[in-house]
Amino acid sequence: MPDNEWDEMLVEATGEVLETMFFTGVYGPAQAGGAAAEPRVTARLSFVGTPSGALTLSVTEPAMRALTANFLASDQDDALPAAQLGCVVCELANMICGSLLSRVKTEEHFRLSAPELLPEGAVCPPGQPNQSLDVGDGTIDLWLSLEPHAN
Amino acid sequence: MTIRVLIVDDSSVMRTFIRRIIVLSGMEDAVFLEAPDGYEALRLLREQWVDVVLTDINMPTMDGEELVRCLAADDLLKSVPVVIVSTDGTERRMKQMLALGARGYVKKPFLPETLRGELERVLGGAYAR
Repeated sequence: MPDNEWDEMLVEATGEVLETMFFTGVYGPAQAGGAAAEPRVTARLSFVGTPSGALTLSVTEPAMRALTANFLASDQDDALPAAQLGCVVCELANMICGSLLSRVKTEEHFRLSAPELLPEGAVCPPGQPNQSLDVGDGTIDLWLSLEPHAN
Repeated sequence: MTIRVLIVDDSSVMRTFIRRIIVLSGMEDAVFLEAPDGYEALRLLREQWVDVVLTDINMPTMDGEELVRCLAADDLLKSVPVVIVSTDGTERRMKQMLALGARGYVKKPFLPETLRGELERVLGGAYAR
């Protein structure tokens, strides 16, 4: 599958998850370099199937607070503990990855690892993210790495 | 009639989300039990009756597939309806879980009305009260 199809599916999957479970959406591509210095909440998970790979998702903290508040129906997003942001970013990564892989036309079943919360300042995969999306209160950056096919 | 729901998911925030959606869908007086994996779910089910189990598949210790197998093999518990709530939305996985004994399947992400519809279908008159 060409890279641009994966990128397109990544945007669709992110939009679907945000609209159905977080009651918000993707507003379009983020402005280049706009949120580079902001604190972030980052999660990663890997998957095994055809293809195998990994998804890393990094959300600016204000955006993650707003998403967590929407998900948990909290009206005090400033008071949400960091641990709760971490749990929700892991669930967000899990659902985006599941939604992405359900768009792959295959009979095969993918196995997803448990999402892992990465420490603040963790090194994300090298290079630019596959997608950097404006979600209103900040940005979501997504890196998708796919292992080459064995055949 | 009060509906008793067991939510099985290793993510505490997902359990909270599902609980909220069920309450918002009209089951304000539902009683909720929660378990982070299949083992804890089985322990609770042997102590307390529930009307429906909502379970994730991908969990540590005992996953949702094993839980469904255990329930189907248990004479006392096999009548408890199980609805899978999972990110795995592949046709093959859905068919497999339904063949093992699950009564319904909701793919994450889901709209609140999708979960409500599946609960209505599985619980029938008990849900409608």
